[in-house]
Amino acid sequence: MTIKSSVTSTAFSRRGFLGFAAAAASAPLLAACGGGSASQSGGSGVIKFWDMPWATPAYNDAAKKIAEGYAPASGNLKASYQTIQWNNFYQTFSSAIASKTGPAVSTGGGFQAFQFEQQGQIAYADKVVEELKKNGQFDDFLPGVLEPFKSDKGYVAVPWQLDMRVFWYRKSLFEKAGVDVPTDWASLLEAGKKLKTIGAFGFATGSGAGNNIGNHSMIMMMVNNGGGVFTPSGELDVMNDRNVEAIEFLLEMVSNGIIDPAAVSYTTDNLNAQWKDSKAAFGPYVLGVPARVGDTSGDIVVASPIAGPHGDKAGLVFPNNIMMYTNTPSQASSEAFLVAYMGQLKQLWQQKLMNALPVFKSITELPEFSSDPNNVKIVKEWQPIAKTFAAQGNSLNANLAVLDGGQALNQFTQTVLTGKTDAKSALQAFQSGLQSVLKK
Amino acid sequence: MALTTAQTGLSRARRGVAPGGSGKPAKPANRKSKLSSQTRKTFFWLLLPSVVLLVLIHGYPLAYAGVQATHNGSLIDTGEFVGLENFANVLASDAFWKAARFTLLFTIVGVFGSWLMGLGLALLLRTKIPAGGVFKVLLLLPWVVPIVVSSTAWNWLLGTPDSLIPSMFRNLGLGTPLFLADPTLAAITVMVFKVWISFPFMMMMTSAALASVDTTVYEAASMDGASRWQQFSQITLPLIARSTYISWILMTIFCVNDFPTIYLLTGGGPVDATTSLVVLAYRTVFQDFQTGPGVAIAFLMTITLVVVSVILYRQIRKSSVE
Amino acid sequence: MSAVVHAHPQSGPVLGVTGTGKPNRALSDAGLRGRWWRFALILAITAVVLVPIMVTVVLAVTPGPTSTSTGFTLENFGSVFSQTLASTWLQNSLITTLSTVVVSVAVAAPAGYVLSRGRSKAVSGYSLLLFVMQSLPIITSVVPLFILFAGMGLVDNLMGLTIIYVGSTMTVATWMMAAYFDSIPISLEEASWIDGCSVFGSFTKVVLRNSLPGVLSTAIFAFLLAWNDYLVAIVFLRSTEIFTLPMGVQSFFQQNQTDWTSVMALAVIMMLPPIIVFAALNKYFSVGGIGGSLAGR
Repeated sequence: MTIKSSVTSTAFSRRGFLGFAAAAASAPLLAACGGGSASQSGGSGVIKFWDMPWATPAYNDAAKKIAEGYAPASGNLKASYQTIQWNNFYQTFSSAIASKTGPAVSTGGGFQAFQFEQQGQIAYADKVVEELKKNGQFDDFLPGVLEPFKSDKGYVAVPWQLDMRVFWYRKSLFEKAGVDVPTDWASLLEAGKKLKTIGAFGFATGSGAGNNIGNHSMIMMMVNNGGGVFTPSGELDVMNDRNVEAIEFLLEMVSNGIIDPAAVSYTTDNLNAQWKDSKAAFGPYVLGVPARVGDTSGDIVVASPIAGPHGDKAGLVFPNNIMMYTNTPSQASSEAFLVAYMGQLKQLWQQKLMNALPVFKSITELPEFSSDPNNVKIVKEWQPIAKTFAAQGNSLNANLAVLDGGQALNQFTQTVLTGKTDAKSALQAFQSGLQSVLKK
Repeated sequence: MALTTAQTGLSRARRGVAPGGSGKPAKPANRKSKLSSQTRKTFFWLLLPSVVLLVLIHGYPLAYAGVQATHNGSLIDTGEFVGLENFANVLASDAFWKAARFTLLFTIVGVFGSWLMGLGLALLLRTKIPAGGVFKVLLLLPWVVPIVVSSTAWNWLLGTPDSLIPSMFRNLGLGTPLFLADPTLAAITVMVFKVWISFPFMMMMTSAALASVDTTVYEAASMDGASRWQQFSQITLPLIARSTYISWILMTIFCVNDFPTIYLLTGGGPVDATTSLVVLAYRTVFQDFQTGPGVAIAFLMTITLVVVSVILYRQIRKSSVE
Repeated sequence: MSAVVHAHPQSGPVLGVTGTGKPNRALSDAGLRGRWWRFALILAITAVVLVPIMVTVVLAVTPGPTSTSTGFTLENFGSVFSQTLASTWLQNSLITTLSTVVVSVAVAAPAGYVLSRGRSKAVSGYSLLLFVMQSLPIITSVVPLFILFAGMGLVDNLMGLTIIYVGSTMTVATWMMAAYFDSIPISLEEASWIDGCSVFGSFTKVVLRNSLPGVLSTAIFAFLLAWNDYLVAIVFLRSTEIFTLPMGVQSFFQQNQTDWTSVMALAVIMMLPPIIVFAALNKYFSVGGIGGSLAGR
């Protein structure tokens, strides 16, 4: 290429580029302004309801329909609906609340309401509970569902669905290994050893990036043994004998290869794949595992609760809840919307959109829900004995958010799953990790 | 932007610039004397938008973070002033130093790994190769794919014992490495992942720098009997030194500040084998809800980064003065 | 300078390259064989490096769990466009990214010019300040920025997002432009000043006109940063209809569950514009992309 031609060609391109740039600069910026103003719909005259992607997009569409279809009594405000992504949701809520652009009503993380209550941002739901008493829904709550939300100052939030951790198993693997489904820890260990001979894992879990099933497995085994991280009065109680026993048992499963040595790095996708590929024979998981992992053969079913060495039985429950915020255009409107929304929840289960238990007995009796025997078994056998993260304590609090998502539990879980520890020193490190971050 | 054509000026510009391709940086004398008050005024206006943005997008959050780091509040409440207590606590914690060590290693491997790979490919692509342009574009892909997606793809390739790569190792009789579950392997995997993401950037930087090297110098050198290695180390490298330093600085910042690469692939685990300072800061602020200490970690990291950048920056100045 | 560099044969003797010592022997037998060896080598490297990307592409063209078709399919792309707001997201991403690129260059080029030509203490201090200020990780800046922008009504708004992207690309972009301007001899401006140009006039008419590679590499840098970001977008954007593509990808992540076929289809769509940009601008990079603009001359 000669110098001359090069000059002309770059000059030409440059002009083209600049022309393009000028056009791009003016048009999109104007469009951006327009796009922005159109979206500022959540102004003062409406109750902003923020919801999470609890299930498939169809769920959010249905919930949106309920929220936007809400026709308030005269004097009350209408509601708007907004889906908030799970990724970095705490950042999203915090920054919105700090800048007074947050919601009036929202779902969210399991213990989010207590965190924001601590910071004076939550409007108590006592009046909503009263309304629920009047309209009969209060008596419809499954046993023990509402109590954890009662604080000294009032109801911090209202539960609307129960995210359960229960044991699932794959029937065919047990048949193939020629062993019965475990009923207690001893038989779980024995079954695990047999399952290992056919290349399956007797306790499937995972604590890779973004997967908290591993964390929940630890706490679940503690409460299954009558232990837990807190005393009934809410004091930290990590080192109790029942916990030590539970962790020793988990470590025994690790050393026997009953827990997959790679489980420490399993994401939820990896774990789903283990279930789908008949690698996972038994283990704790959420509702609706067959649909989640894409195996509808009926081979994956809910197990009955198993007994710990002292005969204790328990599962784990995260009562997801709807909270109201002090920053609202009208508290009365927030309350009226929440009461009305609670009354419409059944639609979500009728449309089979939910991966969680309902909080209302009447919904558990709907044919759309009870046609799945796994659901029925969970309601009958697991829900009554399910404990929250606060176990042995009864009421929820902001510290549980730190426990659930925090680094202490995650490191503890990963330490146990890699097996390079003993129960007491792992729990000791867990306790000191928690002590340094929990509010007294 | 003015578009008036000044052909004479342009051709003069061309003539003036062309020899600069292999020459020294333009260092006109008496530059200061040109800074009349009129010039100063123009410079002020030229600089103004950048100053406004710097204060708005970087200055304000930095000041805000300074407040957070010296208080014991949350993301919403400022809380009480605690002085340097957060810094003292952070500096006294093992987790901080462990993360600092990992960050250092991650950065060194990230910067030099991607640089060596990028340099090698740039040198290769500089020669005549059939469809070279296609490869150039294809090799940029790792840098272009969203990390949410590439981290998932990597997880599929090596996350479980039955994934493609562990299976390949097994079939070769090399055992079944647990690339993400074994702490040491996980650390290595994350670094390899980072190199994989970053090498295209280095390749692009180096390619372009090489393109500006006048090849006639090689002819002279080979006539003088310089070996290929001598040509490379004594001609090529010094000629692209400035670009190299700058790419090192940028990559150092990219590595130290990198959050998604690590967080999405390992979450910082197993235990804390792959927890870098940013991941630690993130988890401290958003998972442990310890805003003050978490922001203090980010601050300490920033200070270190600045020191390293300034040292490298000096190197650039030196290399361009020589 | 581009012309001169471009005129050179590209087969300079460099390390690790077998073959000719002199450029014009490229067509000899040895040279030809060398070419094919190098081709094989680069092909092998590219194949290995692209495995994770092939995984993505393969999944994007594999029928989803609810699909009835088998083998290769493009229906994932169809369903992503028909069942989600993907086309709106694509448009939003293009708007945001292109605005970022243009504004970023428009801010960085003048500032870079000052950094390059002004050698006062204040200017070099500012050059360092640019670097220092942008070292704070974005994860700690997002919350304060959100609070600031909420006060100005710029949240859940593409313009607010663009301003942040411009701010975060601007620092490095300014540096890149400054480094490029360093390579342009000041004698050019001096000549134009004699011709009666003002300082601003000579900047736009003489300096900027000769800085296409510098501008393009700065633009590419800004493009990729804005195109791939989700850490800022996820906090700043709420409404589905103003999502950018990375946010669209996020919306396929439900609690403990992900719609991977849609994610991968969208990811492939996301890859295309940068590829097109790179392919289109490839020849400019060969005469001095980012590195060339920063290379010591």
